[in-house]
Amino acid sequence: MSETTAAQDAQPVLKLLNVESAYGPIKAIRGVSLQVKKGEIATVLGSNGAGKSTILKTISGIIDPRKGSIEFKGQDITAKDPAKIVQWGLSHVPEGREVFPLLSVHDNLVMGAYTRNDRDGVARDMEAVYNYFPILRERTTQDAGLLSGGQQQMLSISRALMANPDLILLDEPSLGLSPKLTKEIFEIVVRINRERGTTILLVEQNANMALNASDYGYVLENGRIVMEDTCDKLREKEDIKEFYLGMKEEGQRAERRWKKKKTWR
Amino acid sequence: MTALDPHRIVHGSQFGWEPQVLPFDTVPKMFWQRVQELGSATMMRQKDLGIWRAYSWNEVGDLVKEIGAGLVSLGFSSGEVISVLANTSREWVWIDMAAQTMGGVCNGIYPTDAASQVEYLCNDSGSVYLFVENDEQLDKALEVRERVPGLRKIVVIDMEGLSEVNDPQVISLDKLRELGRAFLKTHENLAQERMATRGANDVAILVYTSGTTGRPKGAIITNKNLCAVLSGLSTSLFLGIPERGERVAFLPLCHVAERVIGEMVPIFRRDIINFVENPETVFENLREVQPHVFFAVPRVWEKIYSQVAIGISEADGLQRLAYGWALSTGVQVAQLSLEHKTPGMWLRVRYALARVLVLNNIRRMVGLNRVQLALTGAAPISPELIRWYLALGIPLREGWGMTETTGGGTVSPAHKMRPGSIGVPGPGIEMQIAPVTNEILLRGANVILGYLNQPEKTAETIDDQGWLHTGDVGRVDEEGYFYITDRMKDIIITAGGKNITPSELENDLKFSPYITDAVVIGDKRAYLTVIIMIDQENVEKFAQDHDVPFSNYASLTHAVQIQELIQTEIDRVNKKFARVEQIKKFFLLETQLTAEDEELTPTMKLKRKLVEKKYEDRIAAMYR
Repeated sequence: MSETTAAQDAQPVLKLLNVESAYGPIKAIRGVSLQVKKGEIATVLGSNGAGKSTILKTISGIIDPRKGSIEFKGQDITAKDPAKIVQWGLSHVPEGREVFPLLSVHDNLVMGAYTRNDRDGVARDMEAVYNYFPILRERTTQDAGLLSGGQQQMLSISRALMANPDLILLDEPSLGLSPKLTKEIFEIVVRINRERGTTILLVEQNANMALNASDYGYVLENGRIVMEDTCDKLREKEDIKEFYLGMKEEGQRAERRWKKKKTWR
Repeated sequence: MTALDPHRIVHGSQFGWEPQVLPFDTVPKMFWQRVQELGSATMMRQKDLGIWRAYSWNEVGDLVKEIGAGLVSLGFSSGEVISVLANTSREWVWIDMAAQTMGGVCNGIYPTDAASQVEYLCNDSGSVYLFVENDEQLDKALEVRERVPGLRKIVVIDMEGLSEVNDPQVISLDKLRELGRAFLKTHENLAQERMATRGANDVAILVYTSGTTGRPKGAIITNKNLCAVLSGLSTSLFLGIPERGERVAFLPLCHVAERVIGEMVPIFRRDIINFVENPETVFENLREVQPHVFFAVPRVWEKIYSQVAIGISEADGLQRLAYGWALSTGVQVAQLSLEHKTPGMWLRVRYALARVLVLNNIRRMVGLNRVQLALTGAAPISPELIRWYLALGIPLREGWGMTETTGGGTVSPAHKMRPGSIGVPGPGIEMQIAPVTNEILLRGANVILGYLNQPEKTAETIDDQGWLHTGDVGRVDEEGYFYITDRMKDIIITAGGKNITPSELENDLKFSPYITDAVVIGDKRAYLTVIIMIDQENVEKFAQDHDVPFSNYASLTHAVQIQELIQTEIDRVNKKFARVEQIKKFFLLETQLTAEDEELTPTMKLKRKLVEKKYEDRIAAMYR
């Protein structure tokens, strides 16, 4: 195990250096440096407006950064055309699903493979996706807009898989889903990672789920990373427990309202 | 002219500084005289939900009466002690005045203190009532109350989130006021009667000194001590400064500096106290208030400077040129004025232009455009920093004092400043450099009665002739200006036998916007090293501007480029010192410390002895 870790250390799939992105005059991320190693699930935790989605959008080329650089498989992809980035093997599953509502489930999946020309590979991946999410096979001819939220999330992940990516950016898969569905989806995300070796960068508000599913985590606050570590270690940090997992020391009174100061150590 | 004795006694009166005779002998009597006199004029302001709310002297008077009567109705007797565990706020002042009006003694506890410290301070001071700011502070009190048997009631100032609390020992401030109002109906003259029970020699307040070793010591401060400090103000520090000015209070009121300068002095001088929203909004509130008189510790002055320095480095070329020109003009004018020379016509014109075009904008931006008196104290400051403020036209004056002198001591005279010196003894104060040890000794009515429950410590500090042994080592020049070399116990003697005063190096290092605090090490060692705490905001900005990848605070301190940046800053300082006095190695503290951490004093200075012990291994590594 330790040798493989050392080998992985040498080759991060994704590397961000001092990335700054802004919406007009408002800086959403103010200098983010992070790495995702091959074959791991990494997560970025953060509250609303911390800049999590902006990081993913900047990686996939939807937003051009003001500053800094992004490297994917050793190649500079900073501010490159999003379509090219997909072809190079990086798929983005956006927040809020965003499936094509008037296309059938099957056609949505085909859209995911739009940039590919290996027909056999596409057919194989289609089969693999149906195995991960059998419900999609049942609904294959149905319009995607008529699926439930959870099914749309499954479709959205599946569509990303159809590009046969090396790295998937996953933006808040738990958004708007029941706890049971969230758990199911996370289980399959982990399976995809283990079985296909796909590297995943996951952005989540549901810290508990994300920490359980991931190997390595970053905490983002106000557009800057304030903490990073393996998820096992992060789970033990006082600030993570109090501010992200909702665990509190029992105080003198049953209902404690005040919050400790964050120190991030 | 023969040289003057370097160990002579220097009196404040040698500079024409005489104390005034005051028409009161206790602090509450002063407060009630002001209420009578000023009535509906504004005394203080604080924000409620983002809107400034003003309180007149009459309103505060009523509040003080209600709180005080509430305490008396519960059984508070003259001479008993209460403690306040809260951030600097309007309520702190109301409670302080209420306790003293009713003949009591008021002690402060830092809101950053842990529950165990709250326990010790309540017990040592013998507090019978404890006022807590909110639920967070209440929880500390509840945790230790079983071990504080003398405590009768805990009064909560802000009850938000506590409506469900049903505890016979806990009462809200509002409820206490209600009790007070009812009690006053039958005891109309309560305040006057209680006030008459106390005089000049009675204890007014207790102020605990943090003490880097051993348990905290409670300084017993009498009305006489406080009045002594107030009686000297108008003829020295505040000479020529109009009363009724705007003030900003934000340093902890548990500390003698803000207690006296931020609370008692504004009452004395009829100033208006504006309380900041919380410790994080100081700079914002400063800009809103634009105070006439502003007192802060060096750390705040350093921060204001570094904000401007960083802002300028981000500005475009033309703006930078304009700043450079304006500042150098200001420096010339400031230098001439320090030499008591009048600048020539042409320089005066240029300076006026620099003020209008550049410097006034900076003054407004930092909230100091109306400042008539800027004051620094409680810790040493770099003379370079003072010169920078003088160049902006901000008369930053240094004062020196300590808990044991009720905050009074020396003041730098308005038109005869000497950066690097702490000034001359204030009215009514005598000072002397002790023979042999060169320790600064001070005598005057402002010297405390002693330490509570620690007569042996009192005897060690105040000798039988009334001289206070300050623990500071220094010298006095021909004209009576005092200079501090260092704290007596901090002086470093290297293995080579060279005496080094670490604070000189440390203050120069802190002048860097990237360094918040520094502790120089080297006692009995071959060379000097330093432990450095970086300024998170400015170093992050440097890293981002220079493409230095970082994630959290620790990774910032590990980055090679940041290590090099700090090395450059150390090299800059080293240039000014002889070889043996130069710093050879350093390391950066990896955790961002907060006031709750044991390494920092409540005024956010690194505790030398504690840091030296805690980081023993890393220090040892610098000598391998």
